[in-house]
Amino acid sequence: MPQTIPEADLERRRAASRRLGWLLGAVVMAIYLIGLFIKR
Amino acid sequence: MSTLTHPADQLPHDHHPSGLLRWLTTTNHKDIGTMYMTFALIMFFVGGLMILAVRAELFQPGLQLMRPEFFNQLIGVHALVMIFAALMPAATGFANWMIPLMIGAPDMALPRLNNWGFWLLPPAAILLTLPFTLALFGIGDGAIATGWTFYAPLSVQGGMGVDFAILAVHILGISSIMGSINIIVTIFNMRAPGMTMMKLPLFCWGWLITAFLLIATLPVLAGAVTMLLTDRHFGTHFFDAAGGGDPILFQHLFWFFGHPEVYILLLPVWGLMPHVLSTFSRKPTYGYKAQVYSFIAIGLLSVIVWAHHFFTAGLPVPALIYFMFSTMAISLPLAVLFFCWIATMWKGAMTFETPMLFAVGFIVLFGIAGLTGLVLADVAADAQYHHSYFVVAHFHYALFAGGIMGVMTGVYYWLPKWTGHMYSEKLGKLHFWLTVLSFNLTFIPQFFLGLAGMPRRIPDYALQFAEFNAISTVGAFILGFSQLLFAWNIWSCVRGGPKVDSRVWEGAEGLEWELSSPPPHHSWETQPVIK
Repeated sequence: MPQTIPEADLERRRAASRRLGWLLGAVVMAIYLIGLFIKR
Repeated sequence: MSTLTHPADQLPHDHHPSGLLRWLTTTNHKDIGTMYMTFALIMFFVGGLMILAVRAELFQPGLQLMRPEFFNQLIGVHALVMIFAALMPAATGFANWMIPLMIGAPDMALPRLNNWGFWLLPPAAILLTLPFTLALFGIGDGAIATGWTFYAPLSVQGGMGVDFAILAVHILGISSIMGSINIIVTIFNMRAPGMTMMKLPLFCWGWLITAFLLIATLPVLAGAVTMLLTDRHFGTHFFDAAGGGDPILFQHLFWFFGHPEVYILLLPVWGLMPHVLSTFSRKPTYGYKAQVYSFIAIGLLSVIVWAHHFFTAGLPVPALIYFMFSTMAISLPLAVLFFCWIATMWKGAMTFETPMLFAVGFIVLFGIAGLTGLVLADVAADAQYHHSYFVVAHFHYALFAGGIMGVMTGVYYWLPKWTGHMYSEKLGKLHFWLTVLSFNLTFIPQFFLGLAGMPRRIPDYALQFAEFNAISTVGAFILGFSQLLFAWNIWSCVRGGPKVDSRVWEGAEGLEWELSSPPPHHSWETQPVIK
């Protein structure tokens, strides 16, 4: 049966998404900086 | 606790602006998906016009239409536009439109990031093409002329077009990373109750692996081109042998991104293929789990095979052997995918509407890309074929027949869902046959040219190559102009046409077909439950 989406549930999911988004962004920056300073 | 129980048109945040402001400020996944697809289509024609000029120059030996420097600029910007501004945005457009519909989510998890990710694209496209215009007014010496690979030391010595391209690639990269982050968090956090990861539609799985590949490899490209920028303007010597640097290091860094990029362009298409094949064979997808594990295996293998792009640069023999066998290993999960696609059709009640024609065409032509790729993966054979037209033909079978024809498959499959109208089947089928025939007319001769020793990236060539080049140019012009049918068919379908039901295709399965065609402004007001 279809059910409505509780707003609190939606907000909880979006907050989790923001946290994971920042984490992935930090990974990107870390790889970029490693790449930038790589030397033979 | 309040709940989202209002009808879509009564929601407070539904009072979105109209006109241009709507498109500038929208956070709706369908609007943003439409913008990505429209942008991709425009840039597809921009990149296509560039290469038609190139093919016109190559119609016969000698220099007829342009200086060699301008020829070099056209081939480089053609590739950058087609890869970063046409194929990748098209795939992201699919993701925006379809992932929320397929997983039962009301929208992407981070809608404002989504808007920002798109609106970075137009300035980047302007940066890529602006040096052509500036050169007309005597400013600078035109666009980047190194080919899309930016190889040092040529790129260290190049004109200001290189700086424009470096900046454009940074911006395009940031846009793709934003899109990838949004797709990963949406798939992880926004799925409807009951949709476990192993019930996720294969299109979403394909995009999930793509997004992780982008996050792992785009920062390396960004690092490499930043180092290139500092070599050009700030006195560093990362890639300058005279200063103790190493030009081959640039090739390693570039292809650490560049090879996964091939799979970044193809995995979304491999993900949508099973949906189309299953629909028009009226059978469930064969080997769901095998396809998921193959996507993961290809994703992992794609980041450990990069040096096969420069076997001839003088790598040590153990490295050559390692990169040869690891490259060939990719053919195993890819063969699993081919087997599953064919097994899905096996003994099905098949019909050949336009999306199915493109899907079958994709399997045959992309198969040629795979087989010729195996030839190039062989170190001994590659010494002969490297930097020849054989390579050009191979990667166009991969990226046009594999990538762009895959995108066309998806557009024809989902366009009625997006617009609520059916496109013209007659025009669609004509577009398919013209595309397939002219594509082969363009690129089969290039295999022979490569085998005969014609190098790529040259505006003039020996007389012995004249006939095949003439045939290739005729094919390219038919291919280019037949894409106008595609654009016209889409435009006509957006403007009107026979109305379609929610389940557009008789054999279609999946959540996206439960919603009306076109879907409501807010997708999944009431969340579906997956059994």
